[in-house]
Amino acid sequence: PSIPEGTPTEAKNKDGVLVDEFGLPQIPAT
Amino acid sequence: MTHWFHRNPLKATAPVTFNYYGVATTPAATKICNDLRLSRTRLLELFTDLSCNPDMMKNATDSYFSLLKGFIASLDESSQDSKLRYIQNFKWTDTLQGHVPSAQQDAVFELVSMGFNVALWYTKYASRLAGKEDITEDEAKDVHRSMKIAAGIFKHLKESHIPKLITPVEKGRDLEARLIDSYVIQCQAEAQEVTIARAIELKHNPGLIAALAYETANFYQRADQMLSSLDPVYALKWRKYLQLKSCFYMAYAYCYHGQTLLASDKCGEAIRSLQEAEKFYAKAEALCKEYGETKGPGTTAKPSSHLFFRKLGTLVKNTLDKCQRENGFIYFQKIPPEAPQLELKANYGLVEPIAFEFPPLHALWTPEALAAFDLTKRPKDDSAKPKSEEEVKPVKEPDIKPQKDTGCQIS
Repeated sequence: PSIPEGTPTEAKNKDGVLVDEFGLPQIPAT
Repeated sequence: MTHWFHRNPLKATAPVTFNYYGVATTPAATKICNDLRLSRTRLLELFTDLSCNPDMMKNATDSYFSLLKGFIASLDESSQDSKLRYIQNFKWTDTLQGHVPSAQQDAVFELVSMGFNVALWYTKYASRLAGKEDITEDEAKDVHRSMKIAAGIFKHLKESHIPKLITPVEKGRDLEARLIDSYVIQCQAEAQEVTIARAIELKHNPGLIAALAYETANFYQRADQMLSSLDPVYALKWRKYLQLKSCFYMAYAYCYHGQTLLASDKCGEAIRSLQEAEKFYAKAEALCKEYGETKGPGTTAKPSSHLFFRKLGTLVKNTLDKCQRENGFIYFQKIPPEAPQLELKANYGLVEPIAFEFPPLHALWTPEALAAFDLTKRPKDDSAKPKSEEEVKPVKEPDIKPQKDTGCQIS
């Protein structure tokens, strides 16, 4: 089996961007 | 106070004893009835218990609904009704219509009415937590999640259970599509408010904040429009809340859109955007006053005096001052007569309800236990007038006073 990527709390939005529990990008874009 | 949300009152219900003398013919059947009575009483108590948390609520709802399910569907999970579905009369008031209850002799009515109150509890729990002076990240997550759970429950009731009711829902009652849709949208919009606050705190892109604020304002506007055909006597206060929140988030959207315009050297347009933000803020302020003066079900508050409200006014003013200063020194651009068109689509932070399912049937419901309910032994005078103990008493909700909010922080 492949090695899981990232931590369990990470999620991706429909564009494949990593987002937090609020659906905000993990890294602020400013 | 970090956030402020309007809440309508909980639904009230008449006590149900689940005493079916003669009908429940074995100890196993009697135990189901006793457990139903106890778990229902426990759940009703938790609605007004300030120490109740989502885990306690989940356990209590699972206990009651897993038992009630035996009164609704057949044990083999087929689409057939339980033979007990119409054995008991249930009475429930509605969130907007005072103390006049609806009654239906149907366990599905009980399921959706109690489910509705569970969803309301999640919104009230979220509101209490969000109203704290300094909300932590974990609490913000809890608020966000609770709103999504509530939205999921409302949605599930509307899509999967309310259509099964035999008696059509009366106009203006909670189970009507207009009301339930408004509750779903309000939950989504309020969860997005938490996200907007977080996006601002983490200094996310102003474009992201403007888009999410704009969509949130539109959510509130949609919820308000859904209630527009209801009797203003009981819907007006709620509508004032939805309207003031819509204006408040339009002000946010124009304020952050102005920052985006300024960053791309469109200072004249930025000033115009900030002027529009000022207009919406003033409109929201006037609506706050109207909300406070409107009589109707729900919380009493003066939202315009809360810190979260005043903070936006200061932000709009400071950003406009900055734009005007820079225009006077650097840009010398004309201010357009028309406000910029906001055609913002949020790619981040839009809230979807969490899918909800009722728990599986309780293990006490064996074929033998169900067979032990003998409906031929039912008393003939079932339709006799209700006893006084069955009257619906209003729910005494805990008085939630806003906490001291000075706006000062000790670092």
